[in-house]
Amino acid sequence: MKQTSIATKIIFFSCGIALLLMVVGCVLFVQYEKVLLNKMTEEKEVEKQNFYIYRLYQEKTALAEQLTAQINALVKQMQSVDVIYSQTFEFQIQSLLMHPMVVAAEFCDEGGHSFLAAWKIKTVQTAKAFPKSLKLKHHMVIQKQTEIHSIEMIRVYYTNEKIEQKLNILKEQDIKGLHDTRQNIYNKLNGLFLAQSLGSFLVVLLLGATLIITLRWLILNPIQDLMNISTQLKKLDLSVDVQTSTASHELNSLALALGQLLDGFRKIIADVKENAGLLSGSADNMTGIAEQLTSHSEEAESKANNVAEASVQISTNIHTIANSVEQISDNMEAVSSTSSYLFNNINSVANAIEELSSSLSHVGERAQNGTKIAEEAVVLAKKAGKTVNTLRYAADEIGGVSEFIQRIAHKTNILSLNATIEAASAGSAGRGFSVVASAIQEFAEQSSRAAKDITDRIASVQKGTYEIENVFKDVSTIIREMNESSESISFAVIEQTKAVQEIASNALEADERARNITVSIEDLSRTVNDAADNTAQVAMGANDVSTRIQGVSESISFNRQISHQINETAIVLNHLSGNLKFMVDPFKVSHQSKSNNNNKE
Amino acid sequence: MRNIKNTTSEKKKLPESKRQFCSFQMAGHYFGVDILDVKEIIDEVILTKIHHAPSEMLGFVNIRGHVHLVLDLRLLLNFSTKSIDESSRVLLFHPNVGESFGVMVDQIGHMIEVEEKLIEYRLSEDNISGIARDFRKSELEKGVCKLKDKLLIILDASKFLNAVDLKR
Repeated sequence: MKQTSIATKIIFFSCGIALLLMVVGCVLFVQYEKVLLNKMTEEKEVEKQNFYIYRLYQEKTALAEQLTAQINALVKQMQSVDVIYSQTFEFQIQSLLMHPMVVAAEFCDEGGHSFLAAWKIKTVQTAKAFPKSLKLKHHMVIQKQTEIHSIEMIRVYYTNEKIEQKLNILKEQDIKGLHDTRQNIYNKLNGLFLAQSLGSFLVVLLLGATLIITLRWLILNPIQDLMNISTQLKKLDLSVDVQTSTASHELNSLALALGQLLDGFRKIIADVKENAGLLSGSADNMTGIAEQLTSHSEEAESKANNVAEASVQISTNIHTIANSVEQISDNMEAVSSTSSYLFNNINSVANAIEELSSSLSHVGERAQNGTKIAEEAVVLAKKAGKTVNTLRYAADEIGGVSEFIQRIAHKTNILSLNATIEAASAGSAGRGFSVVASAIQEFAEQSSRAAKDITDRIASVQKGTYEIENVFKDVSTIIREMNESSESISFAVIEQTKAVQEIASNALEADERARNITVSIEDLSRTVNDAADNTAQVAMGANDVSTRIQGVSESISFNRQISHQINETAIVLNHLSGNLKFMVDPFKVSHQSKSNNNNKE
Repeated sequence: MRNIKNTTSEKKKLPESKRQFCSFQMAGHYFGVDILDVKEIIDEVILTKIHHAPSEMLGFVNIRGHVHLVLDLRLLLNFSTKSIDESSRVLLFHPNVGESFGVMVDQIGHMIEVEEKLIEYRLSEDNISGIARDFRKSELEKGVCKLKDKLLIILDASKFLNAVDLKR
């Protein structure tokens, strides 16, 4: 069903729409009919009512005429009679009331007053006049004036109600009949609508079924066949047969074209396959040959290489010998130069040591001198310390004196203030004294300031002396240390002098021996130089042989490379033919049995 | 408006309208009292403490056989109190200022002679409005004298004793 699903969907959809349209059409039609029917019924109803109004009028007129005729007959009858009795009147009035529509009647005399009245409630009753309870105003009335003696006027009351009632009943019955018929028609219309919708549904169903069947048979089945073929082609199976029916529509021609295309492809692929097999075989052969060639050339090369290596080894060995001999020669020269240098050095060392010895004795004398000077310095420093101490005591005393001066100055100040106060209180008489007092106060302040200055300076002097004392202490300790170190220096110098003298005698001996060594080393150096020249000549010959053998080896290895290239090319060829075969293989040219046969070939 | 007070010292003022003050320092401020109110300046005082007296009364002092009361001017001027050191002095006042009393000051200064016009007296009690009056509870300050580089606050020595009484 998957392949046909689109077609089926289209069919179902269109059928559904058709069905819907039909049903909607039916509903609209039925509604229209109903509206028409309602209109018709209303018109009929109006017509009926008009008709009944007309009939009522007719009947009423008829009744009035009838009654008038009756009264006229009555009058005529009474005129024809000569004598009229009261019984006659009664009989006449009762005969009037015999008519079903007449309700009441009365006879009036010349004055217009009624003398005889009859009415009908349940039974007919007579009296001279109408009772007041009887209400006749809403009833119809006919008046007739007569020329009869004793009767001026006849009045007859009658009613139309019964006629109206009767006619109303008839009218209602008619209208009811009309409504009933309309209801019937409604029911029938509903039935019709049901029948119509059912019928249209059936028609649509039939149409859908025929459409589906024809579509399947004519279009979908061929398409299915084509799909099957295409799936096989997707698997690269070319062996599929395209069957074509004799009927000639578009799909069939398409299938035919596909079949022809497939046939062409099948032939081409078969040819390619056969050729690929042949190519592969020949490439294999070629590879074998190339490999043999390569192995042969490799053997030759390895042999040549062996020879070359051996010759190179010989050459290198000789070279190394030559080199080592040269090195020995160089070394000998170096030794010779070193020994002469050594000889010179030892000479200069001996001289230097002698100088050292003399200077050391000088140092010793100086050190002893220093020791003496340091001792003197210690003594002087102690003396200076004592002097400073005395200075400090003197400063302290001066401080005390200056404080005393300050106190006196304060007192003087107070005194002068008091003097000023006294002078002020004495008024103008004390003015001269006041000047004196202020002068005293100034002096007091000056002396106070001077005393304070002295105190400050003495304090700085005291601080200075304290620092000097400390410095002297440090100086004396340093001098002591100097004294000690100079003593130890003079001891050391004496010992060193002895050691240096011993070293000097040893250096002289070393000088002589070094000279002997230099002479013998120069002899040895000359002999080694001769040996080096000889070995260099041998090395040159060996080098020549080695280079020639290497040339042979190189040409062989060139051969081997070429054969290798051939081998590689053959392998590439083989690989390519394999690839080709691999590419073509998936195509199934014929049925299984045939392809097996091809593989065997 | 300047209202010059008629004190005893005012009547005896100098003909050139110059006035002399005895200046002293307290808590970094310069104060002065009229020199005519001062009797004597004393150093090296030996105080005899009065028990149960107000803290402004430092004690009695014996000067040449006469006993004087010594007040702490720092407390009267609402500074914090300070112990007596070598620069502290006692100012003794004249009997016409108050009966044999003196005040302790931090440091005594010079006798100063100034022109009358350099002195600004404070406003009288009636001419200042409410808030300012509340701030001047004591009437110890009489005015301010403008010196070259500083201000000298002039105190009224005759109010000192009353100030102590008021505080009680």
